[in-house]
Amino acid sequence: MVVIGAIASAIGIALSYWIHWFPADAAKQDKPIDTLYHVLMIVSIPIFVLVTTVILYSAWAFRMRPGQEREDGPPIHGNTRLEVVWTAIPAILLVSLCSYAYGVLTDIEKTHKDELVVKVHAVQFAWSFSYPQPGGRMVASDQLYLPKDRPVRFDIDSQDVIHDFWVPAFRVKIDTVPGIVTHLRVTPTKLGTYPVVCAELCGLGHSVMRSTAHVMTPAAFARWLAQKQAPASAGGAGGGGAPPTQAQLIALGRQTFTGEGGCGSCHTLADAGTTGTTGPDLRVLRGQTPADIRQDIVDPNARIAPGYQANIMPSGFGQTLTAQQLDGLVAYLGSVSK
Amino acid sequence: MEASAASLHSAGAHAAEHEHHGPPEAHRSSRVEPQLLGMLLFIISEVMVFGAFFTAYFFIRVVDNNPWPAHGTELPKIIAGFNTAILLSSSVTIHWALEGIKRGNRFALKAGMLTTFFLGATFLFVQINEYVHIGFAPHNSAQASIFFGLTGLHGAHVFIGLCLLAFVTIRSFRGHFSPEQHRGVEVPGIYWHFVDVMWVIVYTTVYLL
Amino acid sequence: MTAKLRAPGWYRAGAFVALGIAFAYVLVGIVRTAMHFDNPWSDGDAITIVSLIAAPLFFLVGLGCFDYWFYWVSGRPTRPEDHSSHGAHSWKDYFRVNTDHKVIGIQYICVSVFFLFVGGLMAMLMRAELAQPGMQFVNSQEFNGLVSVHASLLIFLFVIPIFAGIANFVLPLMIGAPDMAFPRLNALSFWMLPVAGTVMMLSFLAPGGSFATGWTAYAPLSTTMPLGQLFFTIGVQFAGASSIATALNFLVTIITMRAPGMSFFRMPLLVWANFSTSLLVVIATPFIAASQFFVLLDRALGFQFFNAFVGAGKDGSVLMYQHVFWFYSHPAVYIMMLPGFGIISEIISVKSRKPIFGYRMMAFSLLAIVILGFTVWAHHMFVSGMQSWIRIPMMITTAIIAVPTGIKIFSWLATLWRGVLHLDTPMLFALGFLTTFTLGGISGVMLAMVPFDIHVSDTYFIVAHIHYVLFGGSLFTIFAGLYYWFPKMTGRMYDERLGKLHFWATFVFFNLTFGPMHVIGIQGMPRRVADYAQQWSAYNLAISIAGFLLGLSTLVFLYNMIVSWRLGPRASANPWRALTLEWQVSSPPPIFNFDAVPTVVGGPYEYGIPGAVHGIFQSPAEAKPTPAGSVATAPTTE
Ligand code: HEA
Ligand code: HEA
Ligand code: HEC
Ligand code: CUA
Ligand SMILES: [Cu+2]
Repeated sequence: MVVIGAIASAIGIALSYWIHWFPADAAKQDKPIDTLYHVLMIVSIPIFVLVTTVILYSAWAFRMRPGQEREDGPPIHGNTRLEVVWTAIPAILLVSLCSYAYGVLTDIEKTHKDELVVKVHAVQFAWSFSYPQPGGRMVASDQLYLPKDRPVRFDIDSQDVIHDFWVPAFRVKIDTVPGIVTHLRVTPTKLGTYPVVCAELCGLGHSVMRSTAHVMTPAAFARWLAQKQAPASAGGAGGGGAPPTQAQLIALGRQTFTGEGGCGSCHTLADAGTTGTTGPDLRVLRGQTPADIRQDIVDPNARIAPGYQANIMPSGFGQTLTAQQLDGLVAYLGSVSK
Repeated sequence: MEASAASLHSAGAHAAEHEHHGPPEAHRSSRVEPQLLGMLLFIISEVMVFGAFFTAYFFIRVVDNNPWPAHGTELPKIIAGFNTAILLSSSVTIHWALEGIKRGNRFALKAGMLTTFFLGATFLFVQINEYVHIGFAPHNSAQASIFFGLTGLHGAHVFIGLCLLAFVTIRSFRGHFSPEQHRGVEVPGIYWHFVDVMWVIVYTTVYLL
Repeated sequence: MTAKLRAPGWYRAGAFVALGIAFAYVLVGIVRTAMHFDNPWSDGDAITIVSLIAAPLFFLVGLGCFDYWFYWVSGRPTRPEDHSSHGAHSWKDYFRVNTDHKVIGIQYICVSVFFLFVGGLMAMLMRAELAQPGMQFVNSQEFNGLVSVHASLLIFLFVIPIFAGIANFVLPLMIGAPDMAFPRLNALSFWMLPVAGTVMMLSFLAPGGSFATGWTAYAPLSTTMPLGQLFFTIGVQFAGASSIATALNFLVTIITMRAPGMSFFRMPLLVWANFSTSLLVVIATPFIAASQFFVLLDRALGFQFFNAFVGAGKDGSVLMYQHVFWFYSHPAVYIMMLPGFGIISEIISVKSRKPIFGYRMMAFSLLAIVILGFTVWAHHMFVSGMQSWIRIPMMITTAIIAVPTGIKIFSWLATLWRGVLHLDTPMLFALGFLTTFTLGGISGVMLAMVPFDIHVSDTYFIVAHIHYVLFGGSLFTIFAGLYYWFPKMTGRMYDERLGKLHFWATFVFFNLTFGPMHVIGIQGMPRRVADYAQQWSAYNLAISIAGFLLGLSTLVFLYNMIVSWRLGPRASANPWRALTLEWQVSSPPPIFNFDAVPTVVGGPYEYGIPGAVHGIFQSPAEAKPTPAGSVATAPTTE
């Protein structure tokens, strides 16, 4: 039985190495966590195998055979030695696992001197990121850009409900809590693009509250930052400069509709290719003027579309979207809807 | 309801004293009376409800370090202090009533219950009056919310307590209870004492500290 | 007609519900007029909220749950204890306020199983939606609603009450009591359940859809949701009140009504388990009540407990909700497991024909779990942004809980060792439970390791853990217990072949459904999403198919129970040759359980000791140990 158990454990552990468990490995935090996981598996599998082997063996060896219907087992009431053993061994095991896990925890949460600070702002149902610059200015972006090999500290807050900032490839996550700023530390180590996920249920659009993290070379990151800081960036969010043309506005509106605004998660709109059904199909508006449309977006409860409820469409778009994005949405809806 | 209606029990009857013609009498495996034990366990639960509200208080006041009371508001310590005295004296009067009936003194029972009831009602009245004139509302701040939350929760318990007292009072005027038979006074009494003690804690933490 | 309306029962209950709604309408109108609000008589939200509280209470009054007390408190003559509300002679007696613990037990079980199927059906809809990425059958509001109602029904209206139901039936019999300590309170506790369940299910009719914030209902999301959320907030209050009242009842019954000779260390472990559980309920459940009061006050009356942006410096505390909620809801997971441990102890000992190994440690480990259970709540908050130092003590206590649990697991294994194992349905479920729960428990210990939890929190790894401990743990023990006591409860035998089929189908499809969730969880699939990335489509399709088959396997159980109850062969008093007292009376037990209170003369699990008995039915004076089976019932053949 011991042999069978040992073999089964070995197979189990081998299997646990063979299964491709984790997503991409893109930060310094990954290795310690992955190793911790494998250690946990090495400890757990033999315990599980022990329990199942004893059960299977008993079920086979001690099963009631014909003729034993009225027989009883031996009246064994206990065995103090055994009981001490199976109290002490798990206790020791668990305390050592905890110490090890504590070590890993301090390792992955170490602070560094030259941290790059990135502010993460969550709102139903979109992420935005900003990079404080010398002189108090901010560079804003709706996607996350990070230089490789530089420790990053995220300062995270939320404007409405609890979300959770998670980049699976970095392994770490933390809730975004309205009213307080939470922190997360990561050192990206691998170039590439990785999904940013909202991991805490935050309402209707929870499953579409996604963004993208780009890990770039330090040089490319510096270029990107410089370009963002340049006053007349074309298109995109937050840019200033010359008033955009109507066509540009419509393009921006369409982009916002499917992207940062998250409108598509609730509204069907053939032109944007969205199929949400929580809100009305926006192809057929009820003859609103552009001003009305704007009000429908920034203050949805002012007028409720027939057959729908108040308080469903988020009322924070006036704050979360830039003025230009709003102009874009109004222009876009005006152009594609009846 | 039909046949057995003949044996309608009257005054002073209590569930446990009805003659049993069904099951064998359960064996008593503890000296504690079931009713008393039940009330004690219920009070443990109640203490935990207050515990949860105090957790909220702790988070808002201590963990989040908000000013207490909120800026520009004031809590009427003095009036509430009088109210505390009223409630505490009601604990004395109900104790008097219970001691009275234990000695067979029906007057002490009736008078004691009646005063207790009126003291409790006065407390509640003063409390509501305080709410009206306090100058802030629950939606003004988290501190205001937890102030109304804690005192309101306590007020609700006073109200429940008053209902129990009313029942006891009615029954004592109808001639129920006797020196042997006064669990119906004792058990609500314990609840009333609990409500009083709880108020002392609420008063200390919310008004004084 | 008026007579019908005045007597307690369904007619009066119906009338009272209408009355309750009318009362709510008038109350809201008057208050709003007095406070000079606009449209005082037509605020649908306010009326619904007050109705949700008033209508159930009126319903309970109408049904007659309070009749006796009303008479009593007003000093009017009460009806003598004629036990007319005791027992069941026809099926109709199960539909009224009945004070017989056996009837109440069966009422509990039937209602809970009903909610198992409702909750399970919602899981089927979820799995249908999740079978493919993208949106197919439901939109995201409906999906979140399904997740939330699925979990709420299965936790608050299935697992917790069905354990209360099984214990209701069995526990008084086991300790030699004629009934529970407070039979009328017992009836009231039961009737609050269908009320709570109805409120939760009605939320689907609410404008804006059902509550959709998960069963955890985190603020401030829950304080900003449409009306449906309040159906949870209020429904939970009734379920919670019911569970507190039942726990109180169990504690008083166990402490004051044990048969002579039954010392604490002669109690069957099921009684111990319910004793521990009831302690947890009495102490912890008020916290969920309070957490939902806060949400209700915030949502309905404009309180600011959870609003972090009331104004400069005046902010509510968002994390406070989670602390209060988990201070209940972690103990709640043991509320959902300890009674199951009790059931398993009974079954493993009887079916291995051996005394339970290490009885005292079994009892003490239950108490250890109760105490430790109160010290671990923040392991659900490792990524919540709370003060980071709290994580360390919580990690240690959480891991340590595995020690008492391990003691139980190993003691059960030792009980099996060298026994004579009867591998029938209850035993199969018990053995299945040992494996699946160990797996779920071990994944729990992995979650306790903070750095790992930081990665997998809020992913399908958690969903896998939930189902391994709740389905593989609690539900397996429930199935085991229902099969084990089926003959006692109904007086008939279930179909063994179907029972085994049910076990194997459940065991296989259970593992196929929830096993792969570990993998997609670690790979990064978040929970509570209606739509997911393409990379997980194959896994999810497989999970959904296995899930449907798991659903079908449950139908085998239902069929077996219903048909056997009506047509099964008559069961003897003691088909398992068990020693505990409930098996020493007829099946089903007589209306008052015992003709004479039994006397307990030995431990409950003395199998293998020739002539050992647990209880005898003579008066203590003549009591001397007699061979098993020779009292009250003749030895039975299987
Ligand atoms: C019946 C219900 C039940 C039970 C019994 C448990 C038991 C345990 N649970 Fe679980 N848990 C849930 C139901 C349950 N849980 C639910 C519903 C959630 C999700 C809530 C939500 O967010 O919706 C959850 C979530 C949850 C989390 C939070 C995850 C997260 O959200 O990030 C954690 C973290 O520590 C955890 C840990 C544990 C541990 C350590 C145990 C331990 O008690 C397990 C102990 C048992 C064993 C370990 C097995 C037997 C022991 C041995 C064989 C001895 C040897 C073993 C070792 C040495 C390892 N659980
Ligand atoms: C005791 C508790 C319990 C039980 C028994 C179950 C049973 C099941 N659960 Fe449950 N589940 C939870 C408790 C439970 N669950 C909890 C607490 C959560 C977390 C919720 C949250 O995040 O807030 C959860 C969440 C949860 C999710 C994650 C949702 C998400 O995060 O997005 C999923 C997904 O697959 C799921 C699936 C299932 C399935 C397939 C079953 C099956 O085992 C069900 C099988 C039973 C039946 C199906 C019976 C009914 C059968 C019929 C009516 C016959 C018809 C049959 C067919 C149509 C085939 N559950
Ligand atoms: C969470 C779901 C949700 C999201 C996200 C959402 N809406 Fe809505 N929307 C609704 C609902 C529900 C209504 C109907 C109720 C109302 O009128 O407020 C609505 C109504 C509208 C209307 C009025 C339609 C009419 O016929 O009167 C417009 C215009 C609109 N939304 C635009 C948008 C835009 C633009 C966005 C993105 C920036 C967006 N919505 C995001 C749910 C949503
Ligand atoms: Cu934001 Cu989920
Ligand atoms: Cu827990």
